[in-house]
Amino acid sequence: MNRMSYRSTLAAYLFLSPWVIGLLIFVGGPIVTIFILSLTKWDLLGSPTWIGLRNYINMFQGKGDFWLVFANTLIYTVIGVLVSVVWALFTALLLNQKVPGTGLAGALFFAPAVVPYIATAFALQLILRGDLGILNYWLRVIGVRNPPSWLMDPQVIIWVLPALTIYTFYTGQMMLIFDAALKEVPKELYEIAQLDGASSLTIFTKVTLPMISPILLFNVIVSFINTLNMSFTVIYPLTAGGPGKTSTVLSVDLYENAFKGFRIGYACAEAVVLFVLCVLGTACIFWLSRRRVYYEA
Amino acid sequence: MKRNCWRLLRVYLIWAAIIFILWLPIAVIVCGSFKPLIEFSDYPPHILPRRPTFQNYLALKNVPHLLDYLRNTIILMVGTTLGTLISSSLVAYPLARMRFRGRNFWFGTILATMMVPSCVTVIPQYILFSKLGWLNTFWPLIVPAWFAYPYNVFLFRQFYKTIPSSLDEAARIDGATEWQIFVKIIVPLSRPIFITIGLLSSIFWWNEFFLPLVFIQSEELKPLSVGIYSFARTLFRMRWDLVMAIASLMLIPPLLLFALGRRYITEGIKTTGLK
Repeated sequence: MNRMSYRSTLAAYLFLSPWVIGLLIFVGGPIVTIFILSLTKWDLLGSPTWIGLRNYINMFQGKGDFWLVFANTLIYTVIGVLVSVVWALFTALLLNQKVPGTGLAGALFFAPAVVPYIATAFALQLILRGDLGILNYWLRVIGVRNPPSWLMDPQVIIWVLPALTIYTFYTGQMMLIFDAALKEVPKELYEIAQLDGASSLTIFTKVTLPMISPILLFNVIVSFINTLNMSFTVIYPLTAGGPGKTSTVLSVDLYENAFKGFRIGYACAEAVVLFVLCVLGTACIFWLSRRRVYYEA
Repeated sequence: MKRNCWRLLRVYLIWAAIIFILWLPIAVIVCGSFKPLIEFSDYPPHILPRRPTFQNYLALKNVPHLLDYLRNTIILMVGTTLGTLISSSLVAYPLARMRFRGRNFWFGTILATMMVPSCVTVIPQYILFSKLGWLNTFWPLIVPAWFAYPYNVFLFRQFYKTIPSSLDEAARIDGATEWQIFVKIIVPLSRPIFITIGLLSSIFWWNEFFLPLVFIQSEELKPLSVGIYSFARTLFRMRWDLVMAIASLMLIPPLLLFALGRRYITEGIKTTGLK
């Protein structure tokens, strides 16, 4: 028996080996490396110079507009998660109405998620630009005076960008996952609630939400990771982080520092901050949800 | 009865609003591709072209490197998709179908690495690939795909879990090795998930922007996503007409793949939510 389990463990590790090797080279190694390089100054030529915590000190003293970039990252991520999760849940609820045509609607809701975001970004420029923009023309028609130049106004830009997460693939993906979860909720629960005369809002908060809460937690995490991950692709083609640095988030600043300015040490320090943010954010989501998620026994 | 009609109308109105919001950029792109350049500066702006023209598409033959971009995208799509299908299907097998020490640990680690954004690891990867002399080649994009992506491993595992375990237990009693069980029993039964991940991976690499932007500099090697971006940026005057024509063409393959494989894509994604 022991020999058996030894052999099957060996076989299992052989199957796992491609991923374990990849993990060490492409993920684990890099994570260790960013911590080390963040303590150096390096322009990719020559060899790195050890400067201790200088990069972090510069950062926290606000050099390179770090606090602006950091605040932008928090705003973009928090609002982006809210927008994408609420949008995905709302569209999934719409697909669970008892009306004819949900199949077609489902296809039409999801299809835009597969188109390249870079193409969408060009269309969004035409829609959101100030004077000639389509959105602002419509707003003027319904009587809004002086609508902002959505992509150029330093005051509004960081609040506009998270709304665009509704066009990303992961929002469509979350809609499908919510849709499947909603279909799993036992019909009897709704019937009982309706017999008791509960309003649709009560049914949603007292029946639907608790029943799908594990999936809600799962999707909030999916959204958190993807919002951080896609932030570069969503923002960079539209504004390149501008005007000034008003729409620069960590991923954009890291790219600029590493591959435009060749400030590798500082960019690695930013990668460390991003990594820590990721870990803390995920932990935070689990902690906040610990009592509210209902797991079926 | 009357109340029901109202409810129906209300639902359809909200559906229409959602579809309008989601499809607006696509409409702007497709209609824009038939507009002469001058119409992009019209006020009031209009989505439909006033004087529709096919000229933009004919003018694409003068866009430098457009065919190169297309070829590169296809190479990337095929190279990465093939790699991730082979490696991810292998890695998922023991996680779903075998009992061994450390299984939960490795599954947990896979879930954890799904949570590391690519911009965290991209700088060390860049340094590594520059040491290997791989910058400005397809290798930095294709090679990692052959070492299994956590999300795809996860999808494979979810599917393997649904295959009755009596099948491989019977084979094990007959003395089959794990490799034989994987190749002869699991893979043939898993066709749907192979198609799902093949489609999702192709769509992903058709659209991917960040990694090729970092690793590829020369025009001859850029994929479409980066190519259209650099084309739009290097112009002295923004050629909205040409950009919209290229963008329109870029919409077709992913939408086509979705139309053809809709069932596979939606069913596959829905398994992510299961335990």
